Amino acid sequence: MITYIHFLDFSPYSTSNGPVTMGDLLKFVLILSFSIIISRIITLYLRRSFKDKVSKDAGETILKLFYYGTIIIVFIAILPLTGLDPSGLLLAGGITGIVLGFASQNIVGNLISGVFLMIEKPLKIGDQVEISGTSGFVTDIRIISTLIRTYDGLLVRIPNQQVFTTNITNVVGYPARRFELKFGIRYSDDADAAIFLIKDLVDKEPFALLNPDPSVFVNELGESSVDLIVRIWAPISEWAALKSKLLWAIKKNLEENDIEMPFPQRLVYFHNVPDKNQTPEELKQNQEKEIESVLNYGERVLT
Amino acid sequence: MYGNYDPPFSIEKEGISISVEELEKRWVYKRTLGTDTVEKLILGDGKHIIISPVEPLNTPKEITPNLLIEFEKTLLLAAGARKKIFLTFPVEIGVFISDKGNKNLQLLDVLTLARKKFTLYGPVSNGIICKHWKSGIYSVSPSPNPLQEGIMELFLRNTTSEWASISKAVFSAYGMKIFYDSDVFMRAHMDILNKNTAETGFELQHISGELKSFRPKEQETRKEAIEIYNRKLDFVPVSLTFDMRLGF
Repeated sequence: MITYIHFLDFSPYSTSNGPVTMGDLLKFVLILSFSIIISRIITLYLRRSFKDKVSKDAGETILKLFYYGTIIIVFIAILPLTGLDPSGLLLAGGITGIVLGFASQNIVGNLISGVFLMIEKPLKIGDQVEISGTSGFVTDIRIISTLIRTYDGLLVRIPNQQVFTTNITNVVGYPARRFELKFGIRYSDDADAAIFLIKDLVDKEPFALLNPDPSVFVNELGESSVDLIVRIWAPISEWAALKSKLLWAIKKNLEENDIEMPFPQRLVYFHNVPDKNQTPEELKQNQEKEIESVLNYGERVLT
Repeated sequence: MYGNYDPPFSIEKEGISISVEELEKRWVYKRTLGTDTVEKLILGDGKHIIISPVEPLNTPKEITPNLLIEFEKTLLLAAGARKKIFLTFPVEIGVFISDKGNKNLQLLDVLTLARKKFTLYGPVSNGIICKHWKSGIYSVSPSPNPLQEGIMELFLRNTTSEWASISKAVFSAYGMKIFYDSDVFMRAHMDILNKNTAETGFELQHISGELKSFRPKEQETRKEAIEIYNRKLDFVPVSLTFDMRLGF
């Protein structure tokens, strides 16, 4: 027993702060080992918690940061037990940190943005988004960058800092969305009949939601047509297919009911002041000449 | 039309034509409804075909497990009152294939004669997409076409101290218990918990007190329908009741 106590008090070396005993070194080893074990246990627990919530890559990075960060903090905190002054290390570390900080400003910015993206969750894997002009599906949210698969099947990597600081349009953020279809009909057509036909078609479409209710109305009396607008709400997973289906179905249905979509057109009236001395026959001849010149002009243009 | 069939067979009712015929040593399942035709090949002998009503949330596409029944007229329920009403709900017809003894069920096809329409329950920002059905409110059981509409016996309970104005009820397909014979039947409950919240669910989950006495009769005379959604419950842990937090 006495030998044991003597062993713990035995000082293998001394520093400016005083002698370092074997007991201090043992304490250092024990605390460090204990903190490694505890960090491992917490890491295992967090890994289970992150499962299905955070992407594997991002989760592993966070866990590594936590694990090594904890060990380094504990190591620096218990360093005085070995007789070493951590303030020197901290000073050196501080200077190194500033140098590294400047060098890796963007990486750290992306890293911190990545952490905030995971906390705020403006988007999740599988969402359809538009970020900085790139539209597509979010395939992964990593600690430094976010991966987007565009609708054309291209992989786009966007740094998290850009994702975090720019406008994100999440197309599937809400359960339903509205889309708009525009139709122009002739002035001679019955707009009420057209509205009735369109409403009937929309009503027959299962995915055109009843609530919020669809609306069909005359939006504008245009230059060549009476312009109708159809606004429909649809489940977020179905709106694109419904939009293209309805666009063609409405066009066909209106035409089947003799309601047509006119081409852009403009009526031009030629007003000729007749010479008072002209006989009706001369007047007719002049008019024919005018028509002929117009026709000839058309022919010249065509040839 | 509902029941068990041994191939080869062919049935036709209400514009629905279902057949399983042997063609070049293979079984061919064919179903026609209007212009919609489904044809499938079955490789396997000694199989049963079961035609059963299923939860009305599979056609035209399974996009939500929730059914919203809108009442034709708004119903006012007195404070503390318990009342029984009858509604109708859309019926979907499931065609299953199974081994002898209805083991190893596999869904072949789902069809419906009922109107298919969806709606949003609640606001756009946090609402829920639901299959929509409009129903009259009946004091006695109606007699709809069992291939198109089913009967829902709904027990209403107002637990608040104020009148409750009810215009719709939302039900989750998880927990739906459908029975069928000459009609298609479901028993459900709706408990008004406060001014904006109600809880809905199905028989054998929440019926208590005096309502319990209504329970076993229909169950004895009717057969239990095959449930598509409840068969998924082993894999999807979900609540069997629906909390209507966005008004009723």
